[in-house]
Amino acid sequence: MYLATMPNVENPTEKSLAALAINDPPAIEELFANEKARFDKQLAAKNPDEVNFNLMKNAWLGRKAGVLTLITENWLKPAPPSLKPAVGQSLNQLKRHIEESLEAFRVAAEKASQEGATSRDRVDLSLPGVLRPVGSHHLIRQVFQEIEDIFFSIGFSVVEGPEIETPYYNFEALNIPEFHPVRDDMDTFYIDLPKGASTPLLLRTHTSPMQIRTMEKQKPPVRVIVPGKVYRRDNPDATHSFAFHQIEGLAVDTDITFCDFTGTIEYFVKQFFGPSVKTRFRPSYFPFTEPSVEFDVSCPFCGGTGSSNGATCSKCKGAAWIELFGAGMVDPAVYGFVNYDARKVSGFAFGIGIDRLAMLKYGIDDIQVFFQNDVRFLRQFP
Amino acid sequence: MKVVYNWLKDFVDVTASPDELASRLALSGTNIGGVENGPHGAVIEAEVSSNRPDCLSHYGIAREVGAIYKLPLKHVSPKPAESTAKASDAVKVEIQSPDLCGRFTARVIRGVKIQPSPKWLKDKLEASGVASISNVVDVSNYVMLELGHPLHTYDYDNVRDHKIVVRRAKQNEKIRTLDGIERQVDSNICMITDGDGSSAVGIGGIMGGAETEISFSTKNVLIECAWFEPVAVRRAARFLKLHTEASTRFGRGADPEMAELASHRAAELILQLAGGELLSGVVDVYPGKRGPKKIRVTRAEILRVMGADVPDKEVEASLSALGFAPIRIDQNRGAEGSLLAAWECAQPSWRAEVEREIDLIEEIARIYGLDKFPPRLPAARQGAARLPHYEAETRLRDRLIGLGYREILTIPHVAEDRDALFRPEGVAPARLSNPLSEEANVLRSNGLVTMAAALEWNLNHGQRNARLFEIGRHYHLKGNTSVETRVLTIGTTGEAREKGLYDAAREFSFADLKGDLDSIGALAGALEWRDGGPDWLHATKRGQVLLGPNAIGAAGQLARRVADKFKFRQDVFLAELELDPLCSAIRIVKDARHYEPLPRFPAVERDFSLLLADGTHFSGVTKIVRALGIAEITSIEATDFFRGKNVPAGKYSLLVRITFQSREATLTDAQISDYSGKIIAALERNLGAQLRAQ
Repeated sequence: MYLATMPNVENPTEKSLAALAINDPPAIEELFANEKARFDKQLAAKNPDEVNFNLMKNAWLGRKAGVLTLITENWLKPAPPSLKPAVGQSLNQLKRHIEESLEAFRVAAEKASQEGATSRDRVDLSLPGVLRPVGSHHLIRQVFQEIEDIFFSIGFSVVEGPEIETPYYNFEALNIPEFHPVRDDMDTFYIDLPKGASTPLLLRTHTSPMQIRTMEKQKPPVRVIVPGKVYRRDNPDATHSFAFHQIEGLAVDTDITFCDFTGTIEYFVKQFFGPSVKTRFRPSYFPFTEPSVEFDVSCPFCGGTGSSNGATCSKCKGAAWIELFGAGMVDPAVYGFVNYDARKVSGFAFGIGIDRLAMLKYGIDDIQVFFQNDVRFLRQFP
Repeated sequence: MKVVYNWLKDFVDVTASPDELASRLALSGTNIGGVENGPHGAVIEAEVSSNRPDCLSHYGIAREVGAIYKLPLKHVSPKPAESTAKASDAVKVEIQSPDLCGRFTARVIRGVKIQPSPKWLKDKLEASGVASISNVVDVSNYVMLELGHPLHTYDYDNVRDHKIVVRRAKQNEKIRTLDGIERQVDSNICMITDGDGSSAVGIGGIMGGAETEISFSTKNVLIECAWFEPVAVRRAARFLKLHTEASTRFGRGADPEMAELASHRAAELILQLAGGELLSGVVDVYPGKRGPKKIRVTRAEILRVMGADVPDKEVEASLSALGFAPIRIDQNRGAEGSLLAAWECAQPSWRAEVEREIDLIEEIARIYGLDKFPPRLPAARQGAARLPHYEAETRLRDRLIGLGYREILTIPHVAEDRDALFRPEGVAPARLSNPLSEEANVLRSNGLVTMAAALEWNLNHGQRNARLFEIGRHYHLKGNTSVETRVLTIGTTGEAREKGLYDAAREFSFADLKGDLDSIGALAGALEWRDGGPDWLHATKRGQVLLGPNAIGAAGQLARRVADKFKFRQDVFLAELELDPLCSAIRIVKDARHYEPLPRFPAVERDFSLLLADGTHFSGVTKIVRALGIAEITSIEATDFFRGKNVPAGKYSLLVRITFQSREATLTDAQISDYSGKIIAALERNLGAQLRAQ
């Protein structure tokens, strides 16, 4: 096995061309052909494996004492100028042959080693890897983000406001004076203030107070959405929580019309539920919008047919439509509270209930799961 | 409001099926709860919005149906026979509080026979969900459901002096109402009294009194059909916690003009069902009569608000059907579709809420059909902005999630005693004056109380490993104003690493919490830690967290005392940081990022195994090493730590790894030895450290 590197009288690469009495190109070719044959014979005699590969590589291509180095040192360098080109050319050919043969040998060695590996060494792909703990966004946060992104993409800025509000912002400036019947539908939590407090404080019943706060601060054009928590004094059950989440929207400009309003809402809902969802607007009543509407989508679960698998659709109860949220054109009376000229500007507002939307989209039947924070629930929406 | 389909046919010749009708009503603004087929035909549940008291009657709904289907409305014109005796001789009415009662009409029928109602009347009431009592009482309910105007009938003989006095209630005045309950009223409430006005026979617009109730022995009937001021009625109903069919209708605004017609219609029906003699005429005191009101609507405004046109004939048909009597008044009258078109409309007495042009536009649009206005997406005029801390908060959230934390959301309503466990001294909590329960009577003054509750929920549901965070607010009062502070709250319990194929399990420790906080702190530069912290944390496993010079929170293991309150049987770790300073720092640090050229020369590490006295901190070591001013020191790390075996009591062993690197040249062994010598000498001198081995 040391054949190629051991000093050997038989080994012509130890000697110079002169000492070998080679002095014409045919003789040089023959000399190289012998070396090539010697290499091929050695390689053919070896099992393709990593050890043999390294042995052969070292013996033939080794920098210090490899055959090619010897040839370079003993044949090429001392050769007379007339023979140098022939020696150089043959040397390059031999080098290329050795490199290619060794690469093929290496590939064969690798393949053989893998094929030959015992099943003991092989990984069991059905076993788990090392799992590092990964966290998750809360589902409500994800829905907020999705809706924010949709409205952001059509030019709505995001603003936030206080959850503890004054009756002025929560009701009066929204055209809901005291004893207005609508107040009966929004049972309100009040903060217990020290005696003598001039302004009562309450927990906002909707994100709409930010309509007023935004318009107080900013002249048109206004285009904002307001994500946040809101509170109503309802006894908790599967569909009611006394805290829940809303996104308010408000757009006011000199040229916003009802068509812009419905177009914006339709754009949103098709982005959120998919392009095949149908929409409709039903006239409704809110003190701070006029005309006011309730916005419905075709039930995404039964495709708006009212039945699935021959039975009444459990999500829309056969109605084929699902009421999503209330909205409308901003009532001119509201502009009076923020010093906007109702004859020059117009706009629309909407308030989307996030919890309900998430429940609809993901088939959640109990609003309380959002607030229990059971890790088995949190894990379901990575 | 239950709308009996067949009853509608008294007023409009509707041919559409009940389901189709319900759907059309829904699309023109009457919300529909459902359609049911009962023994008396289809009943449509109409959820009438509070601005449409006129639709709380079959006549009012029929008007909507007429507008939708362009069918004429059949008017009601009662023609009861009247006797020669005059009503005005039989009853006197005086209104002393015209601000509360705008109209009071009285009719008198003598010699009635009170008896059960006939089947047709019982059926209609039953279909409407109203119990039948007797013919006269049933008539008043029937007329209310038919025409929308509440009436009240008195036993005429029990009305003292046959005189009605309507006045404001006296302080502490009491009345026993029809339902037998004695109620105390306040001076904003309108009372119906009799005789000299000293004693009450009813609460105006809400409920009659027990004393003058119709009974089976009643012979003579006084019919009241009045109009009460809506805000006063709503206020009174809320004060009395007494909401009736009458208070709903008066409270939303009944039609004052309808009062006389409804009374006439009731008289007609009573004569028909109970016999008797109707005294001629009506006693009608009407101080609140409203003048005619004109409202103008223009095509220009329709286009400006709605963004698409409505043909002239549609504008006129819908407004006419709803009673607004539109008249074209512009110069281009007769020119169909003129952009200058303007109509002058009269406000009908049953639509007091329609006062402005926008109100008329809504009427036109809802009858014409909202689907006829083509949706379009408006062009954006300006760039949109995210919340100020959006990017910082996103970076923070993403890092926490990468570290294995799950985001939670909680309701801030908590029990006062629980909140107090974590409440900093001197903080005034925001208590609710009307909580739903004692378990939720205060808004959390910190995020920890709800975080602990989330861990509690998981432990109680068999989930012993939880790593949670919340980005939310806490609340407190400062005098009479509220303060809302944004906070990041972290809570963990159970295993930092669960047992797997390749690793053993490891419980979460203070070091895990500190490491996680430092990982997020790295986004904001770096957090500083200081001894101490609130007493809800374990006295030896806690720290204050600082950002620059300011404390922004605390972290550590939950104190046993507090853990016991939650019945935690395993260690719980909590942290709370103020969010705004954290996010500001994250933003600043992100903006300040820049490239540091990579070092060209190799780094050399040297380990120092130190024996230190308990109480000597790693920070003491780094401080002394840093004080030597060796510029080539690039890091000082603690790599091992132990007590016990071979370490004398009162001491501990700390392995410190110091890395040296120069930007100018490869450091020589001589240089490194020189630095090491200086470091050891300084540690020995200043900390009494002993070098164990190197």
